[in-house]
Amino acid sequence: MKRLLIALAATTCLTAPALADDDRIVVGFATAETGFMQAYDKPAQDAAMIRIKEINDAGGLLGKQIEVVNADTKTDRAEGAKAGLSVIDAGADMVVVSCDYDFGSPAALAAESSGLVSFFLCAESIKAGIQGVGPNSFSASVLAAVQGATMAEWAYTKKEARSFYRLLDTWTEYNKGICDGFDWMLPQLADASLVGEDTFLNEDASIAAQITRIKSLPEEPDAIMLCTMMPGAVSAIKQIRAAGINSMILNGSGVDGSYWLSAVPDLSNFFVPVQGSIYGDDPNPEVTAFNAKYKDATGGDPSTQYVYPGYVMIDVWAKAVERAGTTETSAVVAELEKMSGEPTLFGPRTFTSEIHHQNQARYLIVETDAGKPGVVDEWTISKPIPVADLMK
Amino acid sequence: MSRSPLRRSLATPVLLGLILVAFALVAWAVGSKPFNQTIIDIFLKVIFAVGLWVFIGNSGVISFGHIAFACLGGYVAAWTTIKPMMKGISMPGLPDWLMQTEIPYWAAAAVGAGWAAVWALIFGAVLMRLSGIAASIATFAMLAMVNSIYSNWDSVTAATSSVVGIPIVRSVWPYLIAAILAVVLGWAYGISRHGLALRAARDEPTAAAASGVNIPRMRLIAFVVSGAIMGMGGALYAHSIGIVTPDTFYLGLTFITLSMLVVGGMGSLSGAVLGVLFLSSLIQGLRWLEAGVQVGTSTFALPGGVQEIALGAVMILILMFRPAGIMGNRELTLPRAGSDTPGRSGPTN
Repeated sequence: MKRLLIALAATTCLTAPALADDDRIVVGFATAETGFMQAYDKPAQDAAMIRIKEINDAGGLLGKQIEVVNADTKTDRAEGAKAGLSVIDAGADMVVVSCDYDFGSPAALAAESSGLVSFFLCAESIKAGIQGVGPNSFSASVLAAVQGATMAEWAYTKKEARSFYRLLDTWTEYNKGICDGFDWMLPQLADASLVGEDTFLNEDASIAAQITRIKSLPEEPDAIMLCTMMPGAVSAIKQIRAAGINSMILNGSGVDGSYWLSAVPDLSNFFVPVQGSIYGDDPNPEVTAFNAKYKDATGGDPSTQYVYPGYVMIDVWAKAVERAGTTETSAVVAELEKMSGEPTLFGPRTFTSEIHHQNQARYLIVETDAGKPGVVDEWTISKPIPVADLMK
Repeated sequence: MSRSPLRRSLATPVLLGLILVAFALVAWAVGSKPFNQTIIDIFLKVIFAVGLWVFIGNSGVISFGHIAFACLGGYVAAWTTIKPMMKGISMPGLPDWLMQTEIPYWAAAAVGAGWAAVWALIFGAVLMRLSGIAASIATFAMLAMVNSIYSNWDSVTAATSSVVGIPIVRSVWPYLIAAILAVVLGWAYGISRHGLALRAARDEPTAAAASGVNIPRMRLIAFVVSGAIMGMGGALYAHSIGIVTPDTFYLGLTFITLSMLVVGGMGSLSGAVLGVLFLSSLIQGLRWLEAGVQVGTSTFALPGGVQEIALGAVMILILMFRPAGIMGNRELTLPRAGSDTPGRSGPTN
């Protein structure tokens, strides 16, 4: 009820702008409650709420209960700016914005200009942070480039893949990011070679031309780095396998989840990096416990690994606030930037004054074998991807 | 008959201006950031609707392409106001002189208007020879074309990625001034001989042509003026949220601004402005209801997404009972004893 009142007061503007009130700690969610981004924002936000509840149940943050205010961005950029301003007016100490950089940035820019910390729920572009918003902005997920680099290095080391084929879906920045990371890693792997590369578009009904080029190679490549995402990924994978190409397929985290596997029956030799396992076989039993908690709270299992960054976000932010002893922006940012290998449920997290994102992270490797996904390994790239390479 | 069209119709821009000032004063008095942003958004829509009216209202040709000019203006703001260092990263293909340019937002709005006007002239020279549905489809093709180019020209527009770093202007006053400027421009065009000739061509093309009206030329003038207004609006839109992407300026914005014009009444400048104010207020009201309203001890809230549905329903109802829109073809004027009844005979705008 109180939450609704706050939201109402904020949006109807019956009140003067709330001054920073030291008696409350408020997290403002300027995220999509309607529109297509809701499918991405809601699960991560649910996970964030679970962490907030855990903290509140354990006595709160700095002895205060964390309060939450919401505003709907309606998956619209102009509304996003309003939503950001509206949670700020409602007294937010930290502003959580939409998963995607394009849709989250208007609210994040509003937070930045009000001198507040902002967190992207699960954006994986370098721009979601210092580079595209400002010095007080962070992302709770891991850079897409790290996913591509992880898969390349892991396949090279553990699967002895030497010949790689790069197939890029140019639809989104995220896809390009995966392949950028792959491109950065490949030259560092001795005697690994790129035997060919190609592009397609997510909406392409057929990638027959691209497949023909793979088939006409003198021999099948050891691995295909497939930089794509839903919904086009399913059709691309199906066509590659239907053409009789049995190379291992490496992907980004965007194709995690078992919801689509029935479309490609008995898929094998298929690898995805994930921050935590939704399949109940995470090496960390606490992740499985979290999955159960998530099911209690929302009525369903996590459908992809993109649930987890929301939990990490509140976790690292609350730790920084606890250490700083205040929610004041510069103190919290300073504490966040001190985090180096900070343990979380989903791997260690590092922030520096140069990058508010993960350019190196532990990933679990999920293999789908005969249509059944499961964790087979974990991998951390041998060195972080330099910021200069991420910015090109 | 003795009064000039200027004096006879002066009340319209003055009244509309006063209404806009009243909205700005409310935003200022309330002092809430999101409400302020809402009012800014309304002013931007007023600029767009007036820009649309200048062409559609006077020529009678529905244009689905005007948001393309807003896109052109928005990217001018990105090209000219972002810090050179940031431009180098996101848009490395810009020519050197443009890369080093950094001008204030109001200048960017003026340049945006000019840039859009230039392209309106180029496109218009071809398109204005068409009429009716063919012209409408052609303008739509223009929108798709501009959108495609801006979505794919990686080195100059950063393709579909958001272009960030545009200085954000959160004060309501510049937008108010721009909206009033658009209204005054629209009004001045409407009462000019070109506006009159174009309306004559709209109502009686054959008679107008026989009286010496060069219809394509008259349409072209309206197209350029409206393109400039849209360009200004697009640049300011970029400054209101700080980012631009090509899909911001596409079908969504096209149809919401067109509906505002149609609901207000395509035939009059007052209709364009009031349509925006009415529908925007309605949208805002529904959004508050979605967020929840306290009634006694219980909270009443509409399910999310009802706003869009209710908006559609209200628009249908308005058009059922007032097919020509809220204002019909009338302008907002002061009631004056003894004056010729406004709007009945002859153009009053």
